[in-house]
Amino acid sequence: MFAYIMRRLAVAIPTLLLLIVFSFVLMHLAPGGPFTQERALPPQVIANLNAKYGLDEPLWRQIINYIWGIVAHFDFGPSFVYPDRTVNQLIAAGFPVTLTYGTLSFIAAVVVGVALGVVAAIWHNSFLDYLAVGISIGAQVLPNFVMAPILVLVFTLWYRLLPGGGWSFSNPDFWIMPVIALGTSYMASIARITRSSMLEVLGSNHIRTARAKGMPEHRVILRHALKPAMLPVISYLGPVFVSMITGSVVIDVYFSTGGIGKAFVDSALNRDYAVMMGVTILVGALTILFNLVVDILYAWIDPKIRY
Amino acid sequence: MVIEEQKMQSLAARLSEDEVKGRSPWADARKRFLRNKAAMAGLIILILVTLFALLGDQFAAWSNDELDFTVMGQVATMGQPSLENGHYFGTDDLGRDLYARTVQGTQISLMVGIVGAAIAVIVGTLYGATAGYVGGRTDQIMMRAVDILMSIPYMFVLILLLVMFGRSMSMLFLGIGLISWLDMSRIVRGQTLSLKNREFIEAARATGVPTWKIIMRHIVPNLLGVVAVYATLLVPLMILTESFISFLGLGVQEPLTSWGALISEGAGTMNYGTLWQLLFPLFFFCITLFGFFFVGDGLRDALDPKDR
Repeated sequence: MFAYIMRRLAVAIPTLLLLIVFSFVLMHLAPGGPFTQERALPPQVIANLNAKYGLDEPLWRQIINYIWGIVAHFDFGPSFVYPDRTVNQLIAAGFPVTLTYGTLSFIAAVVVGVALGVVAAIWHNSFLDYLAVGISIGAQVLPNFVMAPILVLVFTLWYRLLPGGGWSFSNPDFWIMPVIALGTSYMASIARITRSSMLEVLGSNHIRTARAKGMPEHRVILRHALKPAMLPVISYLGPVFVSMITGSVVIDVYFSTGGIGKAFVDSALNRDYAVMMGVTILVGALTILFNLVVDILYAWIDPKIRY
Repeated sequence: MVIEEQKMQSLAARLSEDEVKGRSPWADARKRFLRNKAAMAGLIILILVTLFALLGDQFAAWSNDELDFTVMGQVATMGQPSLENGHYFGTDDLGRDLYARTVQGTQISLMVGIVGAAIAVIVGTLYGATAGYVGGRTDQIMMRAVDILMSIPYMFVLILLLVMFGRSMSMLFLGIGLISWLDMSRIVRGQTLSLKNREFIEAARATGVPTWKIIMRHIVPNLLGVVAVYATLLVPLMILTESFISFLGLGVQEPLTSWGALISEGAGTMNYGTLWQLLFPLFFFCITLFGFFFVGDGLRDALDPKDR
C-alpha cells in the first residue's frame, strides 16, 4: 500500500509542476502584460514595475523563482492589479467560505444520492423507484447556474424565506441555497449510478446465497450488497469533486458568497494573471490530492485491485 | 408422367418469392431505436429546436440588435410577451426583441455544441485509435499524457486561455475542443485494443497495408457505433460548458449571445418583474439538453449488443 501511494505521488508532483509551467508560459505568450492599460504608462514606469515584480528576468528564471516561492514559502506572489494585496491574502479570504459550503454540498450530494439510489433499487419498479428516476432525470438538466436563479426566485422573491446572497459563518440561512444549488445535479448522477450498480449487485449470486441461508434483508443489504455497489460511485467521486470546485465559481458570483471563485472571475476580468494562476494551481493541487485519496479508498474497498 | 399442375405452381410461386432478408446489426439497432419512445421524443424535440434555430429568423418582427424605443425604460410593463407589437417572447432589459435574441442564442449554442463535439470526435478518435493500435511504449506515453491532462481543472485553464488570447468564437471552439477529446480517446483506445487482434486486421497487415491506412480504413469505421453514442452525449456537455462560461460573462461577447448569456441576463433582472427574460431561454436550454440525453441513451441502448 505504501509503495502504491508513493508511486501515485511520483506521478502527481510532476503533473502539478507541469501545470505551473504551462500556465506560466501561457501568461507570457499572451498579448499585453499586466500593466497594459488603455492610457499607456510611460516606458520608464513600465520598466520600473517590471523590475519590481521581477518580470525583466529571463523566463526560466521567473518560473524557478515562482515555483520556489510556492514550494518554500507557500507564496503565490503579489497581485498585479491590487498592489497592496498578495495572492495569498485573496485566497485566504475566500477559501474558507468555498470550503465550508463545498464540503457540505459534497456530503449532502453523496448521502442523499446514495440513499435515493439504494431505495430505488430495493423497491425496483415501485412508485419510489419512478420518483427517484424522475428526480435524477430532471436534475440532469438543472446545472448549478440554472438551479441558483430558480432557488432565489422561489425562496427569496416569492416566499421570502432565505437571504438571496451574501455569506455569514454564524448564520446557516446563508448556506442553504449555495449547498442545494451546487449539489443537486451531482446528487442526481450519484443516485442514478447507485441505483444501476445496486440493481446489478442485488441480482448476483452471493446475495441469493445470503437470502437463502435466511439472513434478514437489512443485513443482506447493509453488509453484502452496499459495499460492492459503492465501487462505481467511488470512482465517480473524483469527477464530481472537480466539477463542484468549478461550479463553486458560479455560486460565488451569483450568491456573492465571497469565495475564491469570485476572486478568480474578478481577476479574469481585470487580467490579474497572478491571482488567476494562484487559484488555478491551488485547484489543481486539490484535484490531484483528492483523486489520490479516491484511488486509495477504491483500492482499500475493492479486494480485486492489486497495487 | 403427369406433372401435378398445382404442385408446380406453388413451387414456382415459392421460387419467385423474395428470399428472407437477413437483418444487419444496423437495421436491428434502428428498429430498437425507433421503438424507444423517450429517444423518439428526444429526436423530435431536437428537430424542432434545430428548425427554430434555422428558420426562426423568418418569423421575427424585430432584428436581434434593434432597440424598441417605445418599451425602453418601462420593460417590466410594456415589454411583456405579446403578439401585437411583435415581441413574441417580450423584450430584454435594453428593449431588444427577446425572440430574435433567443433564435440567435440557440444558433450559437447549438453550433458550439456541435463543433466542440466534432473536434472532440476527430481528435479523440484518431489519438485513441493510434495509441491503441501502435501499442507498447508509444501507447503508454500517449495515455499517460491524457491522464495528466485529465487531472488539470480544465474550466479554469479554459477561462485562462479565453482571457489571455481574447474572447473570440474561434478561441472558444479551440479551447473547448482542446479539452473535450480526452474521454473520447480513452474509450476509443479501449475499443481499438479489442479490435486489433482480429483476423481482418491481421490479413491487412499480412498484405502489407501501411499502419496509418489500417487505422483509417479498418479500425476507425469499426469504432463508429461507440463514437456515435458518445458524440451525442458530448454535445450537451459542450453546450453546458459554453453556457457556464457565458453565464460568468466570460464567453461570447455582445452583440453575439448564447443560452448561457441569456439565462445570466434573465437571472440578473428577474427581481424587477421581468421573469420571461429568464424563462424563455431556460426553456429552450432545458428541452435541448433533455433531447440530447434521451437520444444518446436511446442510441446506447440500441447499439449495445449486450442488451439483446
